[in-house]
Amino acid sequence: MVKGTLATLFVVAWLLRAASPAFAQAEALGPGAREQAIERERERGLRVEFDQRPSIRVDGVLRLDVRLISQGDWRDLSTPAHDTDAAFDLQRLRLGIDGVVLRKLEYQLEREMRDRRDPWRDAFVNLRVSRAVEVQAGHFKLPFSLDQTTGSKGLDFTDRSLAASYLAPGRDVGVMVHGSTRGSTLGYEAGMFRRGGKTLLLTDDPIAASPRTVAGRLVLRPWLPSTPKALRALSLGLAATAGHVPEGLNGVRGRTLAEDVFFDRVYVSGLRRRVGVEMQWRLGPVSAQGELISVRDERKNQGIDDQDLPDAVSRGWYLSGTWLFTGERKKGTIEPTRRLSRRGFGALELAGRVESLAFGSDVAEGPSARGPRAPRMVETSDSVVTTGVNWYLNEFLKVQADLARELRKDDGRVIDNRGRSWNRTFRVQFAL
Amino acid sequence: MSGSTRPSSIRDLRTWVVAACLCALTSVWMAGGGSPVAAEEATADALFDDSRLHDIWIRVNSSDWARLREGYLENTYYPADIEWQGQVVRNAGIRVRGRTSRNGQKPGLHIDFGEYVSGQRFLGLKSLDLDNLWQDPSMIRDRLAMRVFLRMGLPAPRESHARVFVGSGREFAGVYGVIEVIDKLFLARHFGEDDGYLYQYHWQDPFGFDNPPTSLDWYAARFDPRTHENESATALFAPVRGLAQAIMDAPVEQLESALAPYLDLRTYITHIAIDNVLSQPDGLLGNLGMSNFYLYRFEGSTRAQMIAWDQDLAFEDLDAPPPTKNFDLNVLAQKIWASPELRAAYLEALVDVTLAIGPPPGTPEVENSLTRQCPAPAGQPACGWLESEIFRMHPQIQEAALADPLTPHSDEQFDEEIQFLKRFARERGRIVRQYASEVDPERVDVALRTASDRLQSRSRRPR
Repeated sequence: MVKGTLATLFVVAWLLRAASPAFAQAEALGPGAREQAIERERERGLRVEFDQRPSIRVDGVLRLDVRLISQGDWRDLSTPAHDTDAAFDLQRLRLGIDGVVLRKLEYQLEREMRDRRDPWRDAFVNLRVSRAVEVQAGHFKLPFSLDQTTGSKGLDFTDRSLAASYLAPGRDVGVMVHGSTRGSTLGYEAGMFRRGGKTLLLTDDPIAASPRTVAGRLVLRPWLPSTPKALRALSLGLAATAGHVPEGLNGVRGRTLAEDVFFDRVYVSGLRRRVGVEMQWRLGPVSAQGELISVRDERKNQGIDDQDLPDAVSRGWYLSGTWLFTGERKKGTIEPTRRLSRRGFGALELAGRVESLAFGSDVAEGPSARGPRAPRMVETSDSVVTTGVNWYLNEFLKVQADLARELRKDDGRVIDNRGRSWNRTFRVQFAL
Repeated sequence: MSGSTRPSSIRDLRTWVVAACLCALTSVWMAGGGSPVAAEEATADALFDDSRLHDIWIRVNSSDWARLREGYLENTYYPADIEWQGQVVRNAGIRVRGRTSRNGQKPGLHIDFGEYVSGQRFLGLKSLDLDNLWQDPSMIRDRLAMRVFLRMGLPAPRESHARVFVGSGREFAGVYGVIEVIDKLFLARHFGEDDGYLYQYHWQDPFGFDNPPTSLDWYAARFDPRTHENESATALFAPVRGLAQAIMDAPVEQLESALAPYLDLRTYITHIAIDNVLSQPDGLLGNLGMSNFYLYRFEGSTRAQMIAWDQDLAFEDLDAPPPTKNFDLNVLAQKIWASPELRAAYLEALVDVTLAIGPPPGTPEVENSLTRQCPAPAGQPACGWLESEIFRMHPQIQEAALADPLTPHSDEQFDEEIQFLKRFARERGRIVRQYASEVDPERVDVALRTASDRLQSRSRRPR
């Protein structure tokens, strides 16, 4: 933990120092030298800036921004599988660059420094043909689920919803066409990916076995200028994916907030279909957001007697709301009106979420069982109510505290002893 | 008047006839072997009924069966429906079992009825072993040996044989031994309690209680806890270390009293006597140290007992020379032999085992073993108990064994091994008694004269 924190501080210090080397030298030469240095660089077209983040710019040719997210969590998980001793963990140390070349070609490269097995996150290029047509290729998140595709800097809670975490596909290698109409009345994303995303890791060799997955998402804001402002703040979305999953123990696995497995993989084979609907409403300091996701896996020849089994069905939903009671406008990145560094208090936000994640099979008849080849699987669910406080000290530093009450059920009945638990999480996040 | 009476009598007669027919039909239906009532009332006793060859159908997805055979070194469970005598248990878990007998051709199987359905049992059993009989061309050694342990009053798993069928096509997968798992149900049946500490011993290297290590990790690697699994290493293994240390430290002169808090020496002596008579190279006095046993420490006590397990290699050598074979590999056996009183008890136990398996001393030799029958016709030497058991088991499994598509043994090997076992049963007792007489003829003579009472006492021990 200490090593991780020191590493973070070192990187931040280095970035701050690297942000303006030319000006540092100029300041050393005395008054007026800084202005002269800026003027010289402008003449060359090269600038190094530190506004939101360190950035190198060559007018009309290149923009390169440095990105950094570092966050540490203190978690107290009172579940039977974990002892109740709280634990601190440096959850994330993510370093990357993004920018644009020749005003048309955007790029992003991001690496999780603490993940040695699979460190690359976003790694893609995006060609802007027009506002309505852009082509993106590389490794990035499949266009599915509002919560899953929201960057960690913009999350209202320390954890994404269970539905987004375990039912949405996450990142994969692929190519996607996307764009939006003027005024963002309609936004679309459609792509083809190597497999079904990384949140649903497969047990067998997925690359060799699984064919492509197609995914698409539509976001609508079909409002006229005359539409009341409260309604114009609403956007609605619909998303779907389809792809084959290789035969094997490759069903969706359900985990609790503490990442205990409460529904293990089942044998599947055939088509995996996801459907999601989403809603987001933002008006001034208040926001609401919700999603409903369903994943349906075919189980061809997966019965005890090699017969087809009813589809395995996983469903999840959440509904959340936030209120910035210091009055800032709710958007992706919160900029406190009274930053802490300017003798202000920062911005404070209250957040609440209800959610559920459930697993079962597409059959109502016959005895239910837990077996991975059971025709009718025991309906297993995890419901969570989360309340939280977010404190934005400035646009870089955020402190989050969440309290979650979790309730697990089998066949509609709360599981004895293990069914109820409390989770507390405290997070400090620094993001450029 | 008479005209009205006659029809009434006829009606009464018809009523009685109909009633009688209904009763008869009901009785026949109730007595039917496949009736639902009979099936529901079946217990584990019926599954281990060794008077017949059973049929067990393992319905398992063909991909799982292929994976199980391919990954036979793993202990991965696969879901299966198990059917026996028309009764089906669904969503049981099957995995490969065994150590040296593990293979992908004819995998030994452990069935856990509660692997996927918490608390599920079948015929009252939590689990069941299907022995692939891989190392035994005769296919009956293990069952035969366990019968001897039970006959001598020692706890041992119940066993029967079954034809095992696999998959939706009901493909014949060979003859398997149906073996009772040593678990809490077993403990309750034999000891009247089940909350003590049960361990399965896993052989790692030769060990015979000599210089027992102090590290609890050493014991944890060998004594696999089967009850109280989640307790601390100290609670689980310190008493095992204590037992080993007590055996190491106990003086020969007070061996029985010194070990009384840890072990019933007389039971242990019977166990090693059986191992010796049955020429078991892989038991408590194995060629490579102790192997193939469970250890049960009784509730609230330091006292423990060993329970025989996996006797596939028994009946190895007809002329194996007891009474001290492999004693040099076992500190406890050496101390027993060094104690005059316990040596006498051991010789007595040897004699008792030979008498229990038969035939009685003085039985003439069989002239033509190929035409031998049991029960023996008049004028022929009487059959001993063990020989009779072989004559009972052999025809029971013969046809299925010869049709076994996956056994590594040829038909000739099967027949030869059966013939060898019959000879072993006829001659082993005499050979063992002869060896014992060479050590202490007087003691053996006394043992033979007083054996009757002891054998009755042994067979009266609660099971």
